[in-house]
Amino acid sequence: MKRFLARASRHVGFQVGAVLLLLFVGTALVSLLWTPHAVDELQMRAKLMPSSAAYPLGTDHLGRDVLSRIMVGAQTSIAVGLIAVVIGMTAGVALGAWAAARGGWVDEALSRTSDLIFAFPAVLIAILITSVLGASAENAILAIAIFNIPVFGRVTRGAALAMWSRDFVRAATAMGQGPLGITVRHVLPNIASVLIVQATIQFAVAILAEAGLSYLGLGAQPPVPSWGRMLRDAQTYIFQAPELAIWPGLAIALAVLGLNMLGDGLRDLLDPRLRLLRVG
Amino acid sequence: MLEFLSRRLAAALVTLALATVVVFAVVEVLPGDPALVMLGTDARPDTLAALRASYGFDQPLAVRYLHWIGGLLTFDLGSSHAYGTSVAKLIGDRLQVTLPLAALALAWAMLVAIPLGVFAAWKHGRPGDWGVMGFTQIGISVPNFWFGIVLVLLFAVTWQLFPAGGFPGWQDPLKSAHALVLPALSLSLGEIAILARVTRSAMLDTLREDYVRTARAKGAPERTVLFRHALRNALIPVTTVAGLIAGFLVAGAVIIESVFRLPGVGQLVYDSINNRDLVVIKNVVILFTILVLAVNLLVDLAYAFLDPRPRVRT
Repeated sequence: MKRFLARASRHVGFQVGAVLLLLFVGTALVSLLWTPHAVDELQMRAKLMPSSAAYPLGTDHLGRDVLSRIMVGAQTSIAVGLIAVVIGMTAGVALGAWAAARGGWVDEALSRTSDLIFAFPAVLIAILITSVLGASAENAILAIAIFNIPVFGRVTRGAALAMWSRDFVRAATAMGQGPLGITVRHVLPNIASVLIVQATIQFAVAILAEAGLSYLGLGAQPPVPSWGRMLRDAQTYIFQAPELAIWPGLAIALAVLGLNMLGDGLRDLLDPRLRLLRVG
Repeated sequence: MLEFLSRRLAAALVTLALATVVVFAVVEVLPGDPALVMLGTDARPDTLAALRASYGFDQPLAVRYLHWIGGLLTFDLGSSHAYGTSVAKLIGDRLQVTLPLAALALAWAMLVAIPLGVFAAWKHGRPGDWGVMGFTQIGISVPNFWFGIVLVLLFAVTWQLFPAGGFPGWQDPLKSAHALVLPALSLSLGEIAILARVTRSAMLDTLREDYVRTARAKGAPERTVLFRHALRNALIPVTTVAGLIAGFLVAGAVIIESVFRLPGVGQLVYDSINNRDLVVIKNVVILFTILVLAVNLLVDLAYAFLDPRPRVRT
């Protein structure tokens, strides 16, 4: 841990990523307790106002404070992204570890299924799922989670297979430990760093996906503030209030940039030989 | 090699067959009554029955599925509920916007990304490299639809050099290309970042090879070493990734077409979802899947030709 911190103190990208992530999570936490204005406070006389002391980032087409909505929007991004990644990771790691431990037809079937999911254009299927099941934050989570399962499945399977051929795992097998015990005690702890790095990157991908879906109107529904939705609304008023189209996009970009830099930094610090899967 | 390719082809066909089952299940089985989805819950019973009969929704699932597959094989995709025209013609018309958009974005991405990657590898570990890597980090983090909106702000609202959206049709090709510039730029942002990274790491690999050292030792000019010796081999992985990206560019166009109000396939999907036009949706999704699978196969084929060393199955 000490060595990790010492190396982290020399890794600029990791630090920038960590600061951006703290800012992102901090904003969401602060917004739980306090926002400059109530998120749904409508000011019909103060529509599309430029920035001022009372409204630092101006107001939107319904006269709501943009800064407050961006702060609360961070909650939406984190909730959707995090839950989608946790679901995808849990299922993917379990299936990937199973495929690696069991081999044979289980491995074959799971690998072909993940090929099948990768063959679909992710954006289209996410749109399809949210449109069939109805547009909501929950269904956006489901749509994003489904594409995280094969990503984590592949990464876990690959890393776990490498572990299974290592001597200490062979020794455990020889001592009569079962595949489940070995997976939990020896394989998973040793591939944790790969999974942490992948999870960071997938969190970034999930936030981008959530933003895209809610931009299309298929994510969290009004009045819940979400950055993608804010961009869609802002585009309608792009000639009257161009700044409105800047802030939510900047928020998405900074949050995603932070996670990507943190992920790349973690990879360098934990295991420089790691190769990541990037599926978008 | 023939065996490798035929095995890939067989795998792709199996995947495609499974994909049709999945799409059919999601579109026609999952929502319960497709007629109810298409007409809404307040539709009158007789209109519902008429729609069910005209689309064959009253038939057993297996019959409906086989009917659809038969239609796909003969390019008879049925007719759109909302547009009242043949789905095949509808998609064909929309592809005239989406395919040029994706092609333009891919061409632009390769034009920018390959020199950037070569430059970064050449300046490996120095400020020029950090600059390119920083740019690629931003490129994969910025949502492309927001980049599109920013481009509209700059080039359509402030300077009025390009239209903010819409498409004039192909009567005047110059005007049409003009309308596709901003969308293609926004669509290519993430692809530039990914391709530049791939080019850089492939170049770093080839620059370490003996033949590059030999070329340098012979006193070949740096430009010749970089472009003739190193880049030529580095292009193998770059082509592979460019091909994989191409398949997804078309699907990624969905959001960009929405930003710029382009009447492409993506916009068709989006409108069809709002119109609950299930016939259009399931066919577009399956056509995109065929496209992705076909592109992957082509990439495998190209790879086998470019790199004749035997492939290890992964």
